[in-house]
Amino acid sequence: MGQGTPSVGHPRDRKLTLSSPAARLAARLAHPAIWRGGDCAPEPASLPTGFPALDAALPGGGWPGAGLTEMLLARDGIGEIALMLPALGSLQRARRDIVWIAPPYRPCAPALAAAGLDLARFHVVRCARPDDALWACEQALRAPECGAVFAWLATRDERVLRRLQVAARDGRSFGTLWRRPGDRGGAASAPLRLGLAPHERGGLLAVHVLKRRGGALGHPVVVDLEARSVVAPGIAVRPRPLPAPPRRPDPRTVAAHEAVRTTPVRRRLRAAS
Amino acid sequence: MLWCSIFLPALPLEVYARGSDDDTTQPFAVGSGGSRPQIVAANAAARTGGVKRGQAVAGALALVPGLALRDRDPKAETRALESIATFTLSFTSAASLVPPSAVLAEIGGSLKFFGGLDRLLAAMKRGIEARGHAPRLAVAPSPLAALVFARTQRSEPVLESRALAPALKDAPLAALGLDSRVLETLAAAGVRTIGAAEALPRDGLARRFGPGLVEALDRAHARIPDPRAPYAPPPSFETKLALPAPAHDAAALGFAAHRLAQDLAAWLLARGLGVQAAELALVHEPWQRARVGRPATVLALAFASPARAIGHLATVMHERLARTALPAPVETLALATRSTAPLAGAPLGLLPGDEADAPLVPLVDRLRARLGDTAVVSYATRADHRPERAQVETTDATHAGTDPPATPGAPRPLWLLPEPVPIGDALAAAPWALCDGPERIESGWWDGGDVRRDYCVAQTPQGARAWIFRHHARGTDDGDWWLHGWFA
Repeated sequence: MGQGTPSVGHPRDRKLTLSSPAARLAARLAHPAIWRGGDCAPEPASLPTGFPALDAALPGGGWPGAGLTEMLLARDGIGEIALMLPALGSLQRARRDIVWIAPPYRPCAPALAAAGLDLARFHVVRCARPDDALWACEQALRAPECGAVFAWLATRDERVLRRLQVAARDGRSFGTLWRRPGDRGGAASAPLRLGLAPHERGGLLAVHVLKRRGGALGHPVVVDLEARSVVAPGIAVRPRPLPAPPRRPDPRTVAAHEAVRTTPVRRRLRAAS
Repeated sequence: MLWCSIFLPALPLEVYARGSDDDTTQPFAVGSGGSRPQIVAANAAARTGGVKRGQAVAGALALVPGLALRDRDPKAETRALESIATFTLSFTSAASLVPPSAVLAEIGGSLKFFGGLDRLLAAMKRGIEARGHAPRLAVAPSPLAALVFARTQRSEPVLESRALAPALKDAPLAALGLDSRVLETLAAAGVRTIGAAEALPRDGLARRFGPGLVEALDRAHARIPDPRAPYAPPPSFETKLALPAPAHDAAALGFAAHRLAQDLAAWLLARGLGVQAAELALVHEPWQRARVGRPATVLALAFASPARAIGHLATVMHERLARTALPAPVETLALATRSTAPLAGAPLGLLPGDEADAPLVPLVDRLRARLGDTAVVSYATRADHRPERAQVETTDATHAGTDPPATPGAPRPLWLLPEPVPIGDALAAAPWALCDGPERIESGWWDGGDVRRDYCVAQTPQGARAWIFRHHARGTDDGDWWLHGWFA
């Protein structure tokens, strides 16, 4: 944390001109043999997330392309899969398959196709026993044709997770374990652990970087899922400014619907006039 | 023309012993069968115990009480010869069977491709040994001379016709495969080697023994042509492998299954095919069949794409065997193909290691082999407005995809609940905010799946976005609220 801004690690992200002394120092310190406490460890096979703010917070500038990521999910339906869709799409364009193991619900094929996923390279594995899911997860992580493995596993056995991490590293796969926050074990072997929670403003997702190879990140990265328009890597997208918070609660609630339905027409008309 | 003969001196033994990988410790012999059975072949452990070829079976059993004994199986030996001939077809286009125990292959045209005679012979020998046989190879310009050299254990190859006469001079006449009466008569006259027979007047030999002997001598010396019927692999694959001892555990059959995979892979390669479906039958002992109720436990093997690699075939069989419980001991394995498809060869990589990226066994096949055929599914979209019917699960990934390009105009959640759940109680506790909608989906009155629903996107008080609908079963605006999906 040498330079005041505790958030972002790499010197190339800082917008400084070469004339200032700080820039000259940063250029001198950008030597590969010098490691600073605020830096993230280099991640050779990283996978751009499609969200520039999140890329800047992750080691190597993206998801670990050869390793395990733990996702601690407060509840379903907060945009957790949409967060991964750009990376999945880029993996599929690299002709690698995507395997979901024991998902909690049924994936909606029209939504996945509309998001640009190739359904021919997308497989779902259903397992009758937890052991089968672990076995399938390890096989998928090691398979060279498989690029991303999402697993919803019930285990918190540290040896098993360690084994999966080795499998992901050897198979050069982007493995993601989806877990509940309460499942957080002691020493986890996954090099990256993120916590996902809904932001107080709608349409935003707060990504807490709980563990990464590098300095700790104190504040969550806020990701705007609807600004996700990065399709081809290399095209920079200007992040949308955060919307102003709504002044008052949205009146169009289900309760309001109910109220309208149960109110007789005459009284509704009177209220309107 | 240069012929390589592959002579298998221990074939009667090998057709049983190749089914198991620990054949050296247990004394094992093959008897001739019939009323006065004799020992036909015995392995090293039995020979050290004093079992000899030609011995009566009762005597052999007295010498080695623990001797495992099976009757000779000429059909299995023919199958083994055919399998080796099929394998040699990956080195040459002309192979020929010489029953009972040899295979001939014309290798003159293959020397350059395989990098010389020594490398070609080493590759053939290695491949045949990997199939559980101990071959004796010999090379000569005529097929008959190659057979003679293999039987007389001559190791250095003879490459030119001129060198045949001195090389054959000392070989016994019996190695030519002549009639035993002819051999006895000649032996009585003191003629035991090919060189001695060559020294005799040809017309006299032909008058005394018929044209067969002179012809055999001429064919061996490559003085007249010796056409051989080319071996063609059969149009369908079906083979059996008998085990030296009954197996009680399906996992112990993995080694034998690997042997069958080798045979199948050689046949597929020779015919330019890949297998899509096959049946592996585990044949039980005859006296157990009535108790089990069926003669064999049949495992159906299915492959996601046409397969030919030994490792792929063997892995799928291993996984199936590993989760099979045997109702009775198994004495024979039988493998037959049910469906095949043409499979062209893959081009080699430009640099060494280029082809290493190709997966040995596709992941989906490996998962299905262990978890069941329906455990791995892909999805395809259908042109239907109802969310339940807008997608189908398929086990064939080639059918997956967006058959009609169904991109709904309204938002669709990424997670669908298996069944919609009523959320009236949750709404009563805390209101959910409507974000988008309603989208009316009313369809299916003609096929029994009649729905009339208003779908909305709603945000729960906890911040999750849900796909909910009102189900108007009786009319309009009178339905209950149901949860159908999550915008994950």
